Amino acid sequence: MNILEIKGLCKNYNSFCLSNVSFSVPKGEITGFIGRNGAGKTTTLKAILGVIHNDGGTVLFNGADTKECETEFKENIGVVLGGIDFYRKKKLKTVAKVTSKFYSSWDNGKYKYYLDFFGLDENKRVDELSAGMRVKFMIALALSHNAKLLILDEPTSGLDPVSRDELTELFSAIVKDKERSILFSTHITSDLEKCARNIVFIKDGKILFDGTKEDFMNDFKDKGETLENIIVAVERRKIDESAII
Amino acid sequence: MKALLYKQIRLVAHPMTFVFAFFGVMFLIPGYFYSVIFFYSTLGLFFMFLNAREQRDNDFSSLLPIKKADIVSSGIVFCIIIELLTVLFSIPFALLSNMINKNGNVGGIDANLSIYGVAFILYGFFNLIFFTSYYKNGYKVGTAFLKANIPIFFIVALDFMLPTVLGVKWLDGEYNFYQLVLLTAGFVFFVFATFLSLIKSKKLFLRVDL
Repeated sequence: MNILEIKGLCKNYNSFCLSNVSFSVPKGEITGFIGRNGAGKTTTLKAILGVIHNDGGTVLFNGADTKECETEFKENIGVVLGGIDFYRKKKLKTVAKVTSKFYSSWDNGKYKYYLDFFGLDENKRVDELSAGMRVKFMIALALSHNAKLLILDEPTSGLDPVSRDELTELFSAIVKDKERSILFSTHITSDLEKCARNIVFIKDGKILFDGTKEDFMNDFKDKGETLENIIVAVERRKIDESAII
Repeated sequence: MKALLYKQIRLVAHPMTFVFAFFGVMFLIPGYFYSVIFFYSTLGLFFMFLNAREQRDNDFSSLLPIKKADIVSSGIVFCIIIELLTVLFSIPFALLSNMINKNGNVGGIDANLSIYGVAFILYGFFNLIFFTSYYKNGYKVGTAFLKANIPIFFIVALDFMLPTVLGVKWLDGEYNFYQLVLLTAGFVFFVFATFLSLIKSKKLFLRVDL
C-alpha cells in the first residue's frame, strides 16, 4: 500500500521544467529520492507540499487528493528542510510551543521524550544548534505530532559522517513500526545504501526510475556497482576543455 | 486564525511594532503633524514584515496544517489589530492635547475628529498598496513600503497645508458636522480598501512559488 502517490506532476520555469513526474512512496518504508544538484528534487518536494504552484498533476495522500484535503495532509506529515533555519534567534521551546498550537494530535510527552532522546536543550536558540542538531529538532517536532510521513529534503547535506550515520540509523528506527514512512531526498547516495528500501531517480526534471533498491541496482548494473557509481555514470557530462579560458 | 495570530506575536512581531503602536503620546507635542503618529505604526509593521522575511516565516507557515491563503489573512488581520490599537491608545492623549494646547495645533490639523478621519485614510492607502505589493512576491518588503509611502507623504503634506496654508478652517477646532463626515468617510474607505486588499493579496499570494 502506498502512503503517497504522485501522478503527472508538471512545473514549468523558463530554464527548467518538471515533466510528468510520477512515483509512489510505500507505507512503512524509506524511499530515497536521488539525483544530482538541479535535477528537480527540491522542486518536486515543494510541488508535493503545494508551496509552489503546479502546472499539472495530482498528489494523493492515503488515496485522497491533497488539494482537497490540504490541512489534513499537512497535519499528518513532518517536513525537514536541510540547511534551512527558521526563527534563528528564538528559543527551541518558543518555536515548539507555537508549532504545537497548530496540531490537534500534538503530544507534549512525546516532545519531551524526543528532546531528551536527541540531547536537545530547549532553552537554546535555534542558531546555537549545529546543523545536525537542527535537523534532529525538526524531526522531534514532526514525531511529536505523530506524523505518518516524513518528507526530508537533503537532511544530511553538510553534516559530518558520524552525524549522517546517526541520522540514517534513526530513520531506520522510525519506520520500524511499519506505520510511519519517509521520503528522503539526497545527493549523498551512501546514506541511502544504509537505510532506503526504495529508490526514485530523477534527472533533468524527469523520473528515470521508481522501484526497489535491488531492482535499481539490477537495472543499472552495467553503469556501476554502487548507487554513487551509477549516478555518476548516468549524470556525468564531459567537460569541453577548450571552453576553459 | 488564533494559532496564526499567536505565532505572529511570539515569532514574527518586531518589538518596534508594539512600541510604535503607542506613539499616540506624540499628541502632547505642540505644533506637530499628528498624522505622522499613524505613519509611525506603519513603520512598525514594515519592521515586522522585514523580520518575517529574515526568519523565513512564509516558508515555515507554508508547512503548517493551514491553507496558504490563511498566511495572508493572519498577516493582514494582525496589522489591522495594530492599526486599531494605535488609534485607541492615542485617544486619551488627543483629549489631553486639546486641554493643554488651548490655541490649537499650529503645525497641522488639531487633535480632533478630522485627524482620525485622516488616520483611517492613511491606513486605508497603506493596507491597499503595501499588502498587494508585498504578497505579489512574498519578499520585496522595501519596495512595498516605498510604494505605500507615496500617498502617505501627500496625506502628511495635506495635514500641514489644508488648515494652515489653504485655510480650510472646519478641519480645526472643536467638533463640527464636516469633521464627523470626514471621520465616517475615512473609516468607510479604510474598511473598503483593507477588504479589497485582503481579497487581492490572497489571490496574488496563491500564485507565488515559495
